[in-house]
Amino acid sequence: MAKHVSTDKRRGFKHALIFLIPGLALLITFMIVPFASAFIISFTNMRLIARIPARFIGFDNYIRMFQDDVFGRSLLNIFYFVAVVVPIQTMFALGLAILVNKKIKGATFFRTVYFLPTVTVMVVVSVIWSFLYHPEGLLNGFMNTITLGNWTPIDFLNNKAWAFPAIMLMSIWQGVGFQMLIYLAGLQGIPESLYEAATIDGANARKQFLYITLPQLRSTTTFVVISTTILAFRLFDQVYMMTGGGPERATYTVMLHIYTQGFVRQNVGYASALTVVFFLIVLGISITQRFILKEEREVA
Amino acid sequence: MKRITVLLTLAVFVLLSAMSFAQIELTVWYHDGQEFERAVIRDQIERFNASQDRIKITGVEIPEGTYTQQVNAAALAGRLPDILDLDGPTVANFAWGYYLHPLDEFMTEELIEDFLPSIIQQGLYHDNIWALGTFDSGLGFYANKSYLERVGARIPEGVEDAWTMDEFMEILYDLKELPEVTYPIDFKINYGVGEWFTYGFSPFWQAFGADLIDRESFMTAEGVLNGPEGIAAGEWFQGLFTEGLAHPNPPGDAEFVEGRAALSWVGHWAYVGYNEALGDDLVLVPPPIFPAGQAAGMGSWAWSITSVCEDPAAAWEFLEFILQPEEIVKMTNANGAVPSRFSAVELSEYYKEGGPLELFVEQLNTIAVERPVTPAYPTITSVFANAVDNIIKGGDVKAILDRAVRDIDRDIRDNDGYPFEW
Repeated sequence: MAKHVSTDKRRGFKHALIFLIPGLALLITFMIVPFASAFIISFTNMRLIARIPARFIGFDNYIRMFQDDVFGRSLLNIFYFVAVVVPIQTMFALGLAILVNKKIKGATFFRTVYFLPTVTVMVVVSVIWSFLYHPEGLLNGFMNTITLGNWTPIDFLNNKAWAFPAIMLMSIWQGVGFQMLIYLAGLQGIPESLYEAATIDGANARKQFLYITLPQLRSTTTFVVISTTILAFRLFDQVYMMTGGGPERATYTVMLHIYTQGFVRQNVGYASALTVVFFLIVLGISITQRFILKEEREVA
Repeated sequence: MKRITVLLTLAVFVLLSAMSFAQIELTVWYHDGQEFERAVIRDQIERFNASQDRIKITGVEIPEGTYTQQVNAAALAGRLPDILDLDGPTVANFAWGYYLHPLDEFMTEELIEDFLPSIIQQGLYHDNIWALGTFDSGLGFYANKSYLERVGARIPEGVEDAWTMDEFMEILYDLKELPEVTYPIDFKINYGVGEWFTYGFSPFWQAFGADLIDRESFMTAEGVLNGPEGIAAGEWFQGLFTEGLAHPNPPGDAEFVEGRAALSWVGHWAYVGYNEALGDDLVLVPPPIFPAGQAAGMGSWAWSITSVCEDPAAAWEFLEFILQPEEIVKMTNANGAVPSRFSAVELSEYYKEGGPLELFVEQLNTIAVERPVTPAYPTITSVFANAVDNIIKGGDVKAILDRAVRDIDRDIRDNDGYPFEW
């Protein structure tokens, strides 16, 4: 009897391993090996194009980061971006999901419409929004019309105060569809009977939302918040296309800094060190988020 | 026995056919510049392949915006093609990194002398020629003649006859008064922060007596870029935008052809289009005389053979083909650039004596300044372009230039001064 169990177990492990291999192989090749090499390179002075072979320089690249005020600026910028975009995008996503979850005519049409920006290539979206934000573009034209010509055109993307909010708005618009879809799935997983019981108990719509919808969506929210956070930290395409990090580094992000250091200025060693540090920061934040949200679930 | 004979015959056949088709296959990368430039290169590759059957060239077009970065990445990955075109000032960096094969070993003295000195200057790094262009560039003001006449501006005839700085500023303020003109100068800011900013705007710094780097040692930019001359240049340039004399953010490429700008500061590549739009109203004006004189841009895309190429002699045959005067003129007639060989200049409608673009040849021989030939150039241009962008957007000129100098010097220190021998 006992022998049977153990062979079963062993066979189960073997089968599990077979199923794991493809996934593991991909993870190792595309995530672990590149990251390990980035880690090693970060201790060298490796250059993209070099006559002199790279040599180990200890923690020089890491020490240099502390003197790199542009890196500091880019970190501040990206934290600002995440702090604004994540809550707003999550709320919008939930709102949209509730709207398109209503059983009304054309709901499918609106679902598709809200999802369209997400499946459009970011580069294309960036170019189009650059036109919208242009001083002679649609947005300024619209403002001019509704203020009856009393509007001074703003060059949104070249204005220190406006550039980043403009990119945030566009990013939320572009990304919200994806989160909406996840929330939609979450909403459809809530049993109808809960709402029926609540209606019988006399709970109004607001109370139903607060005490049924939100708690039932907790694990969905955890996923949405964490994935939005990670995506937001990776901000690159929009700023690269629309502002190049300007004006005066108002929209300069960490990813842009890594790209500039590594590919434009060819300092691969330093760019790798930046990558390692940035990875650790994002990892730390994701783990903290998970920890907080999980604890709440246990309390509830 | 019979089977063996059959097999042998087959083997011989395979071998023979393989030998007769043993073509040398070479890959060529080039930036996908303007449509008509691409068309010329495609046609040249086709005709070269058809002209003989020993060498087969395959062309690959790569987007210009990130061309250098992609080539860098390929170099790092060991996946460079046999032949590629490089933007002039990046040649030194590639040669320094052992990625290029010198071209002078294939060149006769006579051939070298037929090239414009500026072409040789741009390709020359540590005693070898690493790249040869089919064309060089010209930079100047394209002007709308009728606008100039309406404000009573003098039209300079040649480099020496250029506007003085005071005269130039006066003309700009006058032009601004014209009802059709929104901003007198179109600086092509719409090209975006990149090589254009360095190519197009560093001559202003040079004309004020500043430069991108100390050209004696190539070790520092301190006091050269951010000295009093550099700051004066930056403040003058910034002033053009704050005074509304230049468009800080043109919505497209058409400001000049549609008459909203009176002057367009841009390279030779705009000529064909401008000429079509303005016809006799188009006039070319040399750079004005600034406190330290005049300066114009120089250098352009040039062809190189990489060090991974297994048959550099075959690669040279292709370069020799596209560097023939007749082929050069095919390209320069399409893109308006300065032909790279004297024998081609004579064949060019635009550049021969009395041609409409003769001024560019004159500039190349007198006031043009090459972008610094140093492996540090990729950093210098990235830093300088950023600085110019910040200056246009109204930042503090001295702080911006100090910062740029710090970044350039840091890069040179990081690389131990880019030693050629080590």
